[in-house]
Amino acid sequence: MKFGRMKSHRRNRMLIIVFIVCAAAGATTFTLFALNENINLFYSPEQIVRGEAPLGKTIRAGGMVQDGSVIRAEEGLGVSFVVSDLKSAQVTIEFEGILPDMFREGQGIIALGQLTDKGVFVAEEVLAKHDENYMPPEVADALKNEHQSSAETYNKANYN
Amino acid sequence: MFKWFHRLGSPKIFFEMSGRWQVPLLWLSVVMLTGGAAWALLFVPPDYQQGNSVRIMYIHVPAAILAQSGYVMMSGAAAVFLIWRIKLADVAVKCIAPLGASITFIALLTGAIWGKPTWGTWWVWDARLTSTLVLFFLYIGVIALRSAMERHAGAGRACAILALVGVVNLPVIKFSVEWWYTLHQPASFSLTEKPTMPVEMWLPLLVMVVAYYLFFFAIWIMRIRNEILLTEKNTDWVKQWLATR
Amino acid sequence: MNLFIASVQRDLLVHFRHPSEVLNPLIFFVVVISLFPLGIGPEPGQLKEIAPGIVWVAALLATLMSMDSMFRSDFEDGSLEQVVLSEQSTFIFVLAKVASHWLLSGLPLVLLMPLAALLLFLDEAGIWALTLSLLLVSPTLSLLGGIGAALTVGLPRGGLLVTILVMPLYVPVLVLATAMVQAAEAGSETIGYIYWLLAILFGAVCLAPIATAAAVNVATDQ
Repeated sequence: MKFGRMKSHRRNRMLIIVFIVCAAAGATTFTLFALNENINLFYSPEQIVRGEAPLGKTIRAGGMVQDGSVIRAEEGLGVSFVVSDLKSAQVTIEFEGILPDMFREGQGIIALGQLTDKGVFVAEEVLAKHDENYMPPEVADALKNEHQSSAETYNKANYN
Repeated sequence: MFKWFHRLGSPKIFFEMSGRWQVPLLWLSVVMLTGGAAWALLFVPPDYQQGNSVRIMYIHVPAAILAQSGYVMMSGAAAVFLIWRIKLADVAVKCIAPLGASITFIALLTGAIWGKPTWGTWWVWDARLTSTLVLFFLYIGVIALRSAMERHAGAGRACAILALVGVVNLPVIKFSVEWWYTLHQPASFSLTEKPTMPVEMWLPLLVMVVAYYLFFFAIWIMRIRNEILLTEKNTDWVKQWLATR
Repeated sequence: MNLFIASVQRDLLVHFRHPSEVLNPLIFFVVVISLFPLGIGPEPGQLKEIAPGIVWVAALLATLMSMDSMFRSDFEDGSLEQVVLSEQSTFIFVLAKVASHWLLSGLPLVLLMPLAALLLFLDEAGIWALTLSLLLVSPTLSLLGGIGAALTVGLPRGGLLVTILVMPLYVPVLVLATAMVQAAEAGSETIGYIYWLLAILFGAVCLAPIATAAAVNVATDQ
């Protein structure tokens, strides 16, 4: 009698361990699957140009503000600018409102808004992305003057 | 093997040992905090993009680091309590929870103040910020459970279980930046990688991080000592100690 | 295994005899959902946009409402203590409790989803995604909630405390599930979210009952 009970007790314990191991294996498998899928809340200029971003839905887009592309409206707060991925892809963003302090040409931004069928991104909100490379102004100047190509690779590293 | 461990677990021995360390630790941390803050506010060059607002980093980043590792320390103590049933570990959990909650609050507050000039908004619902907020709620949960179970013998074990459950949340915090592409920059400071900041900017940050840790430990130890005195107030050694005061 | 089936059967029977405890969270869910159009305005476009969030928050609150009772009656009549003292495994018992909680609160919520989606003008893709996300996540909600329920079982006014303890644990699934519904509405791929939700579900299945069982031991060990 007692022996039998012990057995069921032990079988239970084994069941539990098998159960936990299976669940853990399942969790790991699905994590690996999930890591292979790219969850997209954010679209790069290249993806927008290629037409991967949905039209008329609120999405996030971002990139580097291209030098000399910022056009401010003569009246009101309207502004339009071009963001690029420093390669070929470019997207025009239109925005009406006050831009953050950190907004400037050559700086990374993130915009929340909708893509119109003309390929223009109408932003409801523009946020400046600040990067993790902190440096004093003199260093930044030196970097800029030093070499065009090195500055570009630096910027690329910034954006990524 | 665990002899020293169990020895330290005795409230009396911990009290005697920590008594020697407490005051120098507190002084060192206060000196480093003032020194580091003065350094950061007066002598560190402004950032090329953010200007002077980068100085908030010296308050924000150490708080954010400590907020997370504080929770790890709490759940470490919780694990020690659940495994070896060392009463002192429970006292440590009890004493660290409000400390961790306040440091998380500081991290959130300074993050909001920093976010305004740099991102253009006080608060962004991105993964990192959200998970720090969740961390804050986790601390609050441990505190709330403790205060609700005040009269229960199982309060310590219940809080320890909750702390360990919450630690599952920490990887989520760690990896959240990679899960969701968001505004928040990657961690600005890590021990393994070469810092992307020049030396005159990260050295004061290092000083501040160490100072925060030391201050945290000093306050933690002081709280534990208070708690020990309260719970052991009827023992002979506490009475003797009080007599020498 | 016998314990698992017996316990689930008993819980289902008890709740079919007293259905109000099962029905109240469901009624609460529908009422909360129908309050939003009244508060925000009946404009379909606006409602559709915020529908995933509304439905999800309402579902979380409804689940938390029923959470409090998971171990309470067993604790009060002493059967919880009997199980812990017996040779039966607390782990299996806890798992059975969670399973019957899910059958009685999670599954009905999933079945109510189309109704909720209808009230908020979700389109077909949204309805499917919402139902699927709740189907995937509601067991996780029961599992995680069980920890809170077990920790607070002996306490007066434990219901509010459960919410404080468990809500932070729900945040990742809430974020992923609503993101999944929004992605489905936008017509993008949702499989990545489904994998994440499944990974979290399996993680919760293997870890949460351990914590719940430990908490049950603490609660009965007075």
